[in-house]
Amino acid sequence: MTGGHPALALRGLAKQFDGKVAVAGVDLAVPAGSFYGLLGPNGAGKTTTLSMAVGLLRPDHGRAWVLGHDVWADPVGAKRLLGVMPDGVRLFDRLSGAELLAYHGLLRGMDPAVVDQRAAELLDVLALTDAGRTLVVDYSAGMKKKIGLACALLHGPRLLVLDEPFEAVDPVSAALIRDILQRYVVGGGTVVFSSHVMEVVERLCSHVAILAEGTIKRVGTLDEVRGERFLEEVFVEVVGGRTATGEELSWLSR
Amino acid sequence: MAVPVTVPAEPVRRVSARHFVRLKLRVMGNNFRGQGWRIAMFVAGVLVGLWFAAGSFLALAAPGFAGEPRYALLTAAFGGGLLVLGWLLLPLVFFGVDETLDPARFALLPLSRRTLVAGLFAAALVSVPVLAVLLAVSGLVVTAAALGGWAAGLVAAVGVVAGLLLCVAASRAVTSAFATMLRSRRVRDLAAVLLAVVAALLGPLQIAVLAAVREADWDRLTGVAEVVGWTPFGAPWTVGLDVAEGRAWAVPVKLLITAVTIGLLLLWWSRSLESAMVGAASAAPAKSRRGPAGGPVAQLFPRVLAWTRRDRFGALVAREARYWWRDARRRANLITVAVVGVFVPVMVNLGGPQFAAEEGPDLTAGNSSPVLLSLSMLFVGVLASVTLANQFGFDGSAYAANVVAGVPGRLELRARMTAFSVYVVPMLGVVSVVIALVLGEPGWIGVAAGALLAAYGAGLAINGFVSVLGAYSLPETSNPFAMNTGAGVAKSFLTLLSMVASAAAAIPMVVAAALLGDAWLWLALPLGAAYGLGAALLGSYLAGDVLDRRMPELLATVTPRR
Repeated sequence: MTGGHPALALRGLAKQFDGKVAVAGVDLAVPAGSFYGLLGPNGAGKTTTLSMAVGLLRPDHGRAWVLGHDVWADPVGAKRLLGVMPDGVRLFDRLSGAELLAYHGLLRGMDPAVVDQRAAELLDVLALTDAGRTLVVDYSAGMKKKIGLACALLHGPRLLVLDEPFEAVDPVSAALIRDILQRYVVGGGTVVFSSHVMEVVERLCSHVAILAEGTIKRVGTLDEVRGERFLEEVFVEVVGGRTATGEELSWLSR
Repeated sequence: MAVPVTVPAEPVRRVSARHFVRLKLRVMGNNFRGQGWRIAMFVAGVLVGLWFAAGSFLALAAPGFAGEPRYALLTAAFGGGLLVLGWLLLPLVFFGVDETLDPARFALLPLSRRTLVAGLFAAALVSVPVLAVLLAVSGLVVTAAALGGWAAGLVAAVGVVAGLLLCVAASRAVTSAFATMLRSRRVRDLAAVLLAVVAALLGPLQIAVLAAVREADWDRLTGVAEVVGWTPFGAPWTVGLDVAEGRAWAVPVKLLITAVTIGLLLLWWSRSLESAMVGAASAAPAKSRRGPAGGPVAQLFPRVLAWTRRDRFGALVAREARYWWRDARRRANLITVAVVGVFVPVMVNLGGPQFAAEEGPDLTAGNSSPVLLSLSMLFVGVLASVTLANQFGFDGSAYAANVVAGVPGRLELRARMTAFSVYVVPMLGVVSVVIALVLGEPGWIGVAAGALLAAYGAGLAINGFVSVLGAYSLPETSNPFAMNTGAGVAKSFLTLLSMVASAAAAIPMVVAAALLGDAWLWLALPLGAAYGLGAALLGSYLAGDVLDRRMPELLATVTPRR
């Protein structure tokens, strides 16, 4: 049905905030079935780019397609195929984990029986069943990430867009999330996620794009981007900036 | 240069209240940067404040110009007392508190509680309302100076400043304590009762005052004013007059009363401040109180919503219904509606006959009319619906979930109206029954309910638009009364605008009550209900269209800026 279309295509996306350029024309084509890492330092425009790609933020210029559906002209078609976990955005956190999943499932127009079954499975796998009726607002940071991921996965999207899925997650939960995402990609799904943890990106991704100062600096398969070197070296070289201290801060040691 | 880490240097300079004031001014200034409409709002707020301040100034200064010591005492004691009461209660019911400096932000800094309270108190003094009130009450200084010379004026000035400090301390202490209380879920019922009692006390008090005014027994009134002058409510405002009337010995005593009260209030504030800083998150996690109650879907739907379909609409309604109860901010609004909704119409309809009784002896008690009743019900209905004026602001960035899921605007608004009505419509029913019984006119239940439903429905429609077009973000603190800088003005404007528009939309009900006479007693309920329902549906239909076109923009406006 959607054969031939990239899972996510961005063309010339640009956004300014109060005259300051946050994203200055991003072009990206994410092949279906890829595990795509969007790398960038803090403030590079990762969150802004992803927000525009999924319909949370209206771009000043440019367009975005999800499996051929224009996010801004055909939002219903695009959003049906899309699962999103935004970063720095609250969940409806005065619901318990189970309630939140039920809400998301029904909001996606799913059958209540299917919602019940999938939600129970997700809670089980993500080790959130023990939380019982604890409200999500009382969850730890890692638990919030996990329930956010569960909400994004529940309706079985074709494309997952995750903003910083490994931030503030303990190693055990991170391994669990990695496993879930890898299974999802093997099963034909596509994952796009932002991160600034090189190690995770190197371990997971088939494709990488490095974003800095609102533009794409490097893009391609993981091997194309890093060549013979470590990804971190490439990243630092592309992004620039200082990585060691000099004479200052002498009062720190002693 | 080389200072060892292990021995932190003693602070070179002590932190004083001045730092907090400068911080607040800086935060306010930065909030305006590049936000033209915010500046416009702020200027408008200042102008409105000045307008009221000038009016009050003249009213308070008039007895001085007229050379009337007796009126001077009355205006000082009662005017000042009302002012304190207003500072105490209005933030709870209507305006919220300007939390430009959120106490929680200072939790990690090595500041003593005393420094913190002094600083936050000083920062709280730097605000438009405080300056407006200062201008207004300086009318008392003019009066005292006109009646008792410059010495009296000077003492009055000291008193007025002390009184203002008292007002601010009182409002801070009460809102902070109330916020702490509301946060713990177990105390929420107690809080509701407390507010109800306060409101209920206001009613009889006002009736008593009205009765006193009506009898115009000046000696008795003066006696009451003198008593009030010795309470914290009146003490700071009347010291100037004491000097003018040769009772200089009263001045130190009254100032002491004021000072002690301020001290106690600040002490109370610093207590609740501590718990606000620690941010005791919503008590202990309530773990499976009644065991697993069915699957996730069954858990989402509260029992009262068992009738809704398990689909998108049902899910939206269920989530909203849960939020109106679980979110302290929303619950505070709900409680306000309940309390005000009951006591305002009682006041209007019982206070009315007392005024009228003076006009002529043939008009006995119970001369409230269906028209007057409809009018007061109009107010209640409109007030209930205006709670939704910033319904998306309550959600904050969580609204992103609905944007990502692509919820159609019409469905979204209809569901939100339905969920709110689950709470409000039964409440309105109770109000109409109570008011009809209190008036001794059970036959008027229909009139009351009809007007209520019509006004409520029209208000829902208007507020559908207001909430989509005029949303603003609320700060993410645990204090349900907290407002962002400048949002206070925006909130007041929007509230006023939507209330006027909603009331105008429901005026046909009052007209019908006036024109149709007895037939209206029967027609009011079905027609009012139909009118309200129709208006709400039409509103959600039209405003939903607007929402569809500006979902991301709405999300951006309700997301708190960090």
